[in-house]
Amino acid sequence: MKTKTLEFLRNFQHRLSRSKRWLVVAVITMCLIPANTRAQGIGDLLLLLHTITSTLQGPIGEALSEMRKVSAAVNNFRQQIIWPLALINQTRAFVSATRARYTGLMSQIEGIKNNSATLTLPMQLESVFRSAQSGSMGQIPSIYSQVYQPVALSGIAQPVQRNLMDMDDAMSMDSLKTAMVSDQTTQSMLTLADSLEQQAMTAAPGSASMVTAQARVSDLETQAQLAKMLAAQLRQEATKLAHQNALLKQRSVATQSLQNQIQQVLAHP
Amino acid sequence: MKLPTLSTLWKVLRNAVAALCGLVIVIALLPSKARSQLGLDPCCAMMQVGLNTISGLLRNSVAMPLGSIQQSQQQSANFEQQVVFPMAAINQARSMAVQFESQFVQMRQLFQLPVASATLPMPQMLEQSLLSANPGAMPQITSNYYSLYGTVMTPANAPQPVRNLVDMTDAEAQAAMKKAVEIDALADLELQAAEQINQQLQTAAPGTSPILEAETATWLVRANAYTQSAMAELVRVRSIELANSSGQLKFSASHTATLQTTGNQILQQGVQ
Repeated sequence: MKTKTLEFLRNFQHRLSRSKRWLVVAVITMCLIPANTRAQGIGDLLLLLHTITSTLQGPIGEALSEMRKVSAAVNNFRQQIIWPLALINQTRAFVSATRARYTGLMSQIEGIKNNSATLTLPMQLESVFRSAQSGSMGQIPSIYSQVYQPVALSGIAQPVQRNLMDMDDAMSMDSLKTAMVSDQTTQSMLTLADSLEQQAMTAAPGSASMVTAQARVSDLETQAQLAKMLAAQLRQEATKLAHQNALLKQRSVATQSLQNQIQQVLAHP
Repeated sequence: MKLPTLSTLWKVLRNAVAALCGLVIVIALLPSKARSQLGLDPCCAMMQVGLNTISGLLRNSVAMPLGSIQQSQQQSANFEQQVVFPMAAINQARSMAVQFESQFVQMRQLFQLPVASATLPMPQMLEQSLLSANPGAMPQITSNYYSLYGTVMTPANAPQPVRNLVDMTDAEAQAAMKKAVEIDALADLELQAAEQINQQLQTAAPGTSPILEAETATWLVRANAYTQSAMAELVRVRSIELANSSGQLKFSASHTATLQTTGNQILQQGVQ
């Protein structure tokens, strides 16, 4: 094989003329010359790498660095300015201290008995309507009628007067009963207020709004109950006014009647 | 001489054309990009340096700040979950709303206990209307009121000023009674609303509770407005009461003056 190849090359050398040999050398040289496009490709690659590195260093790197600073600043602001843990605990301790300072005093004031009656029946009545126990409401009519007397019998008073007496008594007893209910619900509301304060003692900044909302709802309940009491007072005052007016009507009719009778007497001496 | 020259020229020309054609074919067959046959392509080395630089930049300029941001955000999330919005505190607030519900229902039921106390038929009817908390019962209040307290005196029974005073007083007394019924009805609605808002609070989140708080605050403003209107009615009742006292004093003064004049006349007639 090797011999054949050497012989082929020798023959080839003989066969080729001098000019043809130059031609072959020129072709091989051309093959070895690097192309222009390749030089151009290297330039592009360098440019691309430069662009990537400058983009990473510039816009991306700087932006990320700024983001890191902002994130750290926001975090610090939240932990040190808005919700500093020390201040949160201090506030909880303040609520606890306030509760400890005032709860006892307020309980003592609430516990003071205002009962002032000295005789047996008034003492009973007062004891019932200050009991703040709605279950005792049934005792009110009997004790009330013992203290203030029942409505006059039909033979003793005019029907109009009996009606007035009964209506006045009814409104008075209604209001006393409503006051008993109100006292009982007041106790419940104070218990709720205590629960709210206990919640505030352990609340987190995020759950405090829920406790506040609960307190607002309780406030609405209190307002509604206050309105109920105000309605009772309105009924009382209206009944009192109507009573006075009814007496004025009766007096007016009686005066007119008396005047007519006097005139009749004077006309017939 | 000429022929060999032409022949040589022809040969040179033919060789030149052949060489040109061969060159054209070789150029046409040349690869546009060729790798070097000896050693590494210088392009690879440049690319390696470039990629190493990019890798270093990604580590220092991108990965490090991103890691720091991630750490900061993790810290922030932990702080919010453990200090600002701890789940235990949120659940505790919700369970408080559950406990409050039974209290509210109990209080509402207490205010629904019957307190009527009248014993005679006419007072019973008026009392029933007054305690009904039903604004639809307003016309019955008027009729029951006149049945119990009487109507304005006839002109034959009282002078016009007295009739005016009596009518005004009746009007205010009835208005106050009607206002009491309205306030009772409104208070019942407020209690219902409070219970409904409380039910919402049992499932509320820290982010939604301010909305419920705003709703409750709105109801409170409304409740205060109604209380204010009831107070105004109370003030009117007291004003009419005061005006009645003043009016009666004026009538008494007038009657006393008339009586004095009449007495003087009678005494003068007796002297003559």
